Amino acid sequence: MNHPQIWMLLAAGLFGLGLYSLLIARHLLRQLIAIKIMGSAVFLILVVSAGLLDGRLDGIAQALVLTGIVIAVAAVAFALALVVALAEQTGAVSLEPEDDDDDR
Amino acid sequence: MTWALMMDVSLAIGLLFLAWQALIGGSLLRGIIMFIVFGMVLAVAWAWLGSPDLAMAEAAIGAGVTGALILVAYWRLKRVNAVEPADPSPLRSGVALVVAVLGTGLVAALGLASVAALEGEPVAGQLLNEALPETGIGNPITGVLIIFRSLDTLLEIAVVLAAYVAARAALGKRQVDLPTPSRDAPLMTALVTVIAPLAVLVAIYLLKAGGQIPGGAFQASALLAALGVMLVLAGRLESTLAVSLWVRLALIVGTLVFCLMGLGVMLFGLPLLAIPGTWAVYLIEAAMMVSIAITLVLLFAGSDGLKGVGR
Amino acid sequence: MNLVELVAAGLLVCGLFFYLAGTVGLLRFPDALSRLHALTKADNLGLMFVCLAAALLAGSLRAALLLLLVWLLALFAATVSAHLIAQVSLRSQGQALEPGDEGGAGGPADGESGK
Repeated sequence: MNHPQIWMLLAAGLFGLGLYSLLIARHLLRQLIAIKIMGSAVFLILVVSAGLLDGRLDGIAQALVLTGIVIAVAAVAFALALVVALAEQTGAVSLEPEDDDDDR
Repeated sequence: MTWALMMDVSLAIGLLFLAWQALIGGSLLRGIIMFIVFGMVLAVAWAWLGSPDLAMAEAAIGAGVTGALILVAYWRLKRVNAVEPADPSPLRSGVALVVAVLGTGLVAALGLASVAALEGEPVAGQLLNEALPETGIGNPITGVLIIFRSLDTLLEIAVVLAAYVAARAALGKRQVDLPTPSRDAPLMTALVTVIAPLAVLVAIYLLKAGGQIPGGAFQASALLAALGVMLVLAGRLESTLAVSLWVRLALIVGTLVFCLMGLGVMLFGLPLLAIPGTWAVYLIEAAMMVSIAITLVLLFAGSDGLKGVGR
Repeated sequence: MNLVELVAAGLLVCGLFFYLAGTVGLLRFPDALSRLHALTKADNLGLMFVCLAAALLAGSLRAALLLLLVWLLALFAATVSAHLIAQVSLRSQGQALEPGDEGGAGGPADGESGK
């Protein structure tokens, strides 16, 4: 980690991209991917902001992020089950009504 | 421009490009595949930053298992002919752009400020490095997960179990719905006979090695889950409505062993969740590996139970 | 740079060449079966060269055997997933791969990366 600033800027960029996509996307799967990418940005910030210790990454930050990765897959699995159940019962894969007109 | 700076910059640009590809425009299927590629490149980035543990977890769980789960959900949505939502209106995109730019600026400011504040030694990490040699565990991450912050990890495995139960509740009882390939493919039996023991062997190695060097329960469970997914797709593990006792036991063994160990040590006058030795670390990790692996496979198969299909 | 490092670097370059060839094949070949052919054959050879280089640099028999195990696991995982994808693409002659079955490519990929 020679240039932590680059990684922080990357995390900010990923967070912004994810946020933008989360706001404009209507398909729930796309919104889920957006949240996952925002989560990756947060993981990057956690590890990089902990800094180096004797030339190695901080073990506590790494363990927290490892926990986070596993929790994230559990959350994604639950979210996917909700999306599939919604689609099977209503035929929709979006939380917004089809005739919704944003231009009003 | 030094070599290290070039690596930093090219990884950052590559990740931003892949995230862009995964999120904006293009078909959803293409987006999902780009998201998996994003996860793989992020794993390379973790390795480059100096964390092989995170690299393995990201590649196996963050990209692999998550990608497989999203793909199988996509397939299920296609099967029920869900209505594709319309494109967002330009006005909405404009507002979203402003919010996203503000969010990016905020995160960038916070991140750069935290880097600038990195003076001196990080205290918690320092304490970890000093306390680790007494535990007999060489891998600091395993040490934090099982010994120093065992309550976090216990709650984590409970969350995984809860997420599974919640997902089952949302989907309800259902019959097998994955496409089953023809079972009489000539090569498959021979391949499965070789790959199943090989994968189990490597998973056990990862678990055992995780005490001293990068590896551990989560990476090992992802490998076992990958094996399970492969067996499901090859028609060797069949989804069932009935849940056998073995599957139930495998689902809870991680939480159960962790709880029993955490409470059991109190009988010997130790505090709650104290870890009595390295054997206990490996025991808990092995139980967690089994539970997480079976949970992930069941989530992929979307079924209540699994049973082996003999030839 | 001593002789061992030089040989290892050469092996790495060889491995990268095969990865490049496999990727070009994936991007340029017209149908699913020939793409699979390019991916599995070239990439497994590439991984073999990378594992050889790593074994040389590690310099111990134990590490070399572990890397052999890693390569074998990746080899068999790639074989099974390629076989599954090929079956599906043969059945759906001419159509694009079913999305659900690409989970097969995701699954074994976990196996390859989980080491």
